[in-house]
Amino acid sequence: MTFLRNPLLALTCFLSLLLGGCGGGSSDDRITIGVAFETLQTEYWVAGFDAIKAELEKRDIRILEAIADSDSNRQLQQIKTFVTRRVDGIIMVPKDAKTSIPAIKAANEAGIPIVLFNRIADREGVEFVGVQADNFALAKATVDYMVEKARETGRKHKAMVVLGDMGDHNAIGRRDGFFAAIDGNEDIIEVVARVPSEWNQEKAQAGVVNAFQANPDISFLFTSSDFLFPSIVSALKAADKYHKIGEPGHVILGGFDGDATAWQMMQDGYLSATGVQDVYFEAEASVQAILDLLEGKEVPELIRDPGFVIHQSNMEAMKDRMWGAVISSGN
Amino acid sequence: MGLDTAKLRKRILGEHLPLLLCLLYFAALAPFAEGFATSYNLVNVFSAMLPLLVLATGQTLVMITAGIDLSATAVIAMASVVGAMIISGDVGWLAGNPLAVPIGIVAMLLVGAVVGAINGTLVAWFRMPPFIVTLTSLMFFSGLAIWSTQSKAISALPHSFLILGGNDWVTLAIVATVVGGIHILLTRSLYGRWIFAVGHNPKTALVSGVPVQKVLVGAYIAAGLIAAVAAILITSRMESGSPVHWQRNLLDVIGATVIGGTSLYGGKGKVLWTVYGALFLTLIDNSLNLLNLSHFTIMMVKGLVILAAAMLDVLRNRENG
Amino acid sequence: MNTGKPSIKTALRFDSIVKEFFGVRVLKEVSFEIGEGKTLGLVGENGAGKSTLMNILGGNLQPEEGSLWFGGQPFSPRSPADAEVAGIAFVHQELNLFGNLSIAENLFVNCFPTTGGLINRSRMFNDTSAALKQVGLNLSPDTPVDRLSAGEQQMVEIAKALARDARLIILDEPTTSLTDIEAGRLFKVLRDLQQQGITLIYISHALEEVANLSDDILVLRDGEVVGNGPKSSFSQSKMISLMVGRDIDHLFPPRSHTPTRKPALRVEKLGRKGVVKDIDFTLHEGEVLGISGLIGSGRTELARILFGLDPVDSGNITLAETSILKLSPAARIQKGMAFLTENRRDEGLCAEASIADNMTLVAAPRFKRGPLALVNRESISLEVTRYREAVRLTKSAQNTQQVKTLSGGNQQKVVLAKWILNQPKLIILDEPTRGIDVGAKYEIYSLINQLTQEGAAVLVISSELEELIGICDRILTMRQGEITGQFNQGEFDREKILAAAIH
Repeated sequence: MTFLRNPLLALTCFLSLLLGGCGGGSSDDRITIGVAFETLQTEYWVAGFDAIKAELEKRDIRILEAIADSDSNRQLQQIKTFVTRRVDGIIMVPKDAKTSIPAIKAANEAGIPIVLFNRIADREGVEFVGVQADNFALAKATVDYMVEKARETGRKHKAMVVLGDMGDHNAIGRRDGFFAAIDGNEDIIEVVARVPSEWNQEKAQAGVVNAFQANPDISFLFTSSDFLFPSIVSALKAADKYHKIGEPGHVILGGFDGDATAWQMMQDGYLSATGVQDVYFEAEASVQAILDLLEGKEVPELIRDPGFVIHQSNMEAMKDRMWGAVISSGN
Repeated sequence: MGLDTAKLRKRILGEHLPLLLCLLYFAALAPFAEGFATSYNLVNVFSAMLPLLVLATGQTLVMITAGIDLSATAVIAMASVVGAMIISGDVGWLAGNPLAVPIGIVAMLLVGAVVGAINGTLVAWFRMPPFIVTLTSLMFFSGLAIWSTQSKAISALPHSFLILGGNDWVTLAIVATVVGGIHILLTRSLYGRWIFAVGHNPKTALVSGVPVQKVLVGAYIAAGLIAAVAAILITSRMESGSPVHWQRNLLDVIGATVIGGTSLYGGKGKVLWTVYGALFLTLIDNSLNLLNLSHFTIMMVKGLVILAAAMLDVLRNRENG
Repeated sequence: MNTGKPSIKTALRFDSIVKEFFGVRVLKEVSFEIGEGKTLGLVGENGAGKSTLMNILGGNLQPEEGSLWFGGQPFSPRSPADAEVAGIAFVHQELNLFGNLSIAENLFVNCFPTTGGLINRSRMFNDTSAALKQVGLNLSPDTPVDRLSAGEQQMVEIAKALARDARLIILDEPTTSLTDIEAGRLFKVLRDLQQQGITLIYISHALEEVANLSDDILVLRDGEVVGNGPKSSFSQSKMISLMVGRDIDHLFPPRSHTPTRKPALRVEKLGRKGVVKDIDFTLHEGEVLGISGLIGSGRTELARILFGLDPVDSGNITLAETSILKLSPAARIQKGMAFLTENRRDEGLCAEASIADNMTLVAAPRFKRGPLALVNRESISLEVTRYREAVRLTKSAQNTQQVKTLSGGNQQKVVLAKWILNQPKLIILDEPTRGIDVGAKYEIYSLINQLTQEGAAVLVISSELEELIGICDRILTMRQGEITGQFNQGEFDREKILAAAIH
């Protein structure tokens, strides 16, 4: 029997060690909210996650967290785990508009209020409150500023737009905002390249490099997300197109999100404008929506984050509300 | 008396060790993980286990032939996309047609059979290493699935299709049929004997009149079909066809099979063991989620727990051997 | 220092050694000694305890009781490394060389000569050359080992022992995979070693070799010494009766059966470029036909062609009046063919699988029922029971036991049972008794007799001419892919057959 005892003993020790580390789930009377993110792979999601955590701590709400690692099946399991643990509300970033519907359904069936943070799903037989930047309006405002700058140069520009994952409502809104701003300005802007990135750095880089090979005279570039800037900048440098505002060969750059890279590029004089999503507003609104729902108050289906455009002329005034700048100064 | 307990002990440690581990793990964590032992959660665990179990059963079949099938998740992607393209109420080729669902299901199974036939042919007739062959299939068919949909998910699937993976009883019936069928195939049929013989020693099998190449091709086709069954369940459960469903879970499939006790070197494996392996992995995932550990901690702890289980297996084999 | 002449010192002494496995005594107070520079012939059936004894000497196992003396000192090796340091070297039946490394690297694999931390290649090469010369091998030290024949590899093993200054060399079945010529060379080298005063332990089932080489004989049976003394006091038949514990008058059972004139297999003008040429013969029902030839004479290749494993360029093969030339091995098996290959481990057995699974592999299709091809387990296990008795498999083995745990003789019986269970009409046996003990050999010969009585035709390929002479009705000789002679029973003449096979 010594053999039986030894490894099993070892396993038991191992398990208790594991448990000692996590402290276990002692229940208390506080409200509990489960936060389920699809990924923490980009700064934007980390900033959003931290903003929600800070908001919950401020209000003394217990938090349960789960990251799905870009897997909608795992996200479904995680939401079911929240149901098991009887959370009072769920804040979730869905994988995409469609594959996360079963997860939302699981929360609906358990009668737990659910808020989708920043990215919303199709409303196919499911109920949720969406908190989302007005992607269309914000992208349009950003590109409007870029067009204004283009007009000041007094010449025509060829333009490139880097698109996101077309299964994501946000990406579609930003694309539509871009074209709405171009609409009516075809006299000076001609869109020659639409680069699909599927929210993937490698794809973005390859696409931008190819576009410059086909059209070396592109001088106007909008990306649907700032997190793609590192690969876009490396492609620009490869084509000798990365120059400061005012220098010869400058490409007018615009983005969306307002991350730390964008903030740095703006300070260094490369980036003209970016549409900033106000994550602090979105975090606060998400938590408030759940509390309101718990109290039985009426909450609109969609809460719009108006956001704002930060550009060369207003950057000092607005930097305290730009999450990318906040992160940078925190370091 | 001594003999009997020794026999029993050997049986438990030899045959049912992973089950013992599951029970032990469950007992150890139940007091700490809130809601772990509730019926809602247990239903969850079993329902989450079913697709993994189906996939791991196909993997078991291939692994017994001393092969490996890395293309399982690519079959899911491809079959999911093809099926959804046929049956979707929005964009489906057969939207609204009463035969859409049966035709879609047949098409999905066909995808699995074709991928399996390609794998099997390259392994058996061209004598290429299974690892390379199925790795290539994985890359090619995942890529094809993403390319053909531009990585968009396809939804609006008919209600009759959603029952297959959405209703736990229906899913259970499908899984039990597949898993039970493979169990009988392996333990009772001529084909099962041949699979083990090929896994043990293909040269001996050939000299003994076993149609080695046909057996290999058959095993890969069966694994492809089984992966397509999993694709049906997953597509139905997620209410959408998508090229990214389950793409990150390939190692869970192989892990469940190996933890159960099926040998990577072939000739040794049982469907029952794989059931235990799938249960073990699902329990770990579920419990770590309940413990509210951060995502990265979960990955690390899962790695360690699997390592501990594997080490136990080595100790057990040393004792017996 | 050691002149060795006046009083012979004791090189190795076993004193009441006892070894137990799971409470079973496998060595029962074994005592014996070997004089310095002497050669001990160690014989016994498989399972008699020879391997256990040598494993104790090599440090792989430790005895429960008793003591070991080596070179006048008490000696208790805890690991193979201890034995090596003490000057004991093993030359195994299964060669233990690294095929992908050169001869020199193999010789020094765990003790590379170094200067300043780097391998001193020139010294390694010189030492290797010297050792190779000692064993009569004229090869460059950087030849990769997998280019060498089995016999040359054996010599490399011995050279390895010499390069490490071994004082005691243990040879375990060294001639099993050698041709007669290679074996002759080996004996010459061993005689040289004896001249140099190196102590040898020679383990073999080939009793004639043992008698020729040894000074003393030690016979083990069931873990006990049943005979020990100078070789002059042991005749071959005495050794055998001591080993098996009963009297066996002959090495071969009498042929009680005469072959029919009904052809079972007809081979006409069979040829394959560079392998076999113009092979013509007919094998009759109830006949045992032997093929004698050296390794490389095309005898094994012919068997593989007959069974459909290798392609053929020309000619015809007819089994029971129909041509089988185009059939796969599986189809030939269905027609009643069986083929026991020369390489039991690689092509005869699934070593990790159970006895029952191995035995039923060939015949399994006959037991399938219904559309799902489910195998009838009751009737198949009845057959297993019947045929394990037919081949006299050791009673102690369980049907579920892995085949690799059996001795060589019992493994071979499992392979035979696998084929006989399918009731073959023509059975090809390639080296059926290689590496198995006298008792098991006799049982296999009896089985061949019994098969012919039931009307089967048997084709036996063997390197041991004595064996062919002892069991065949007719012997063909092969050389360079062609049949060079035919001898009927009654005109078997060792010299003439050898001449036809070699010259």
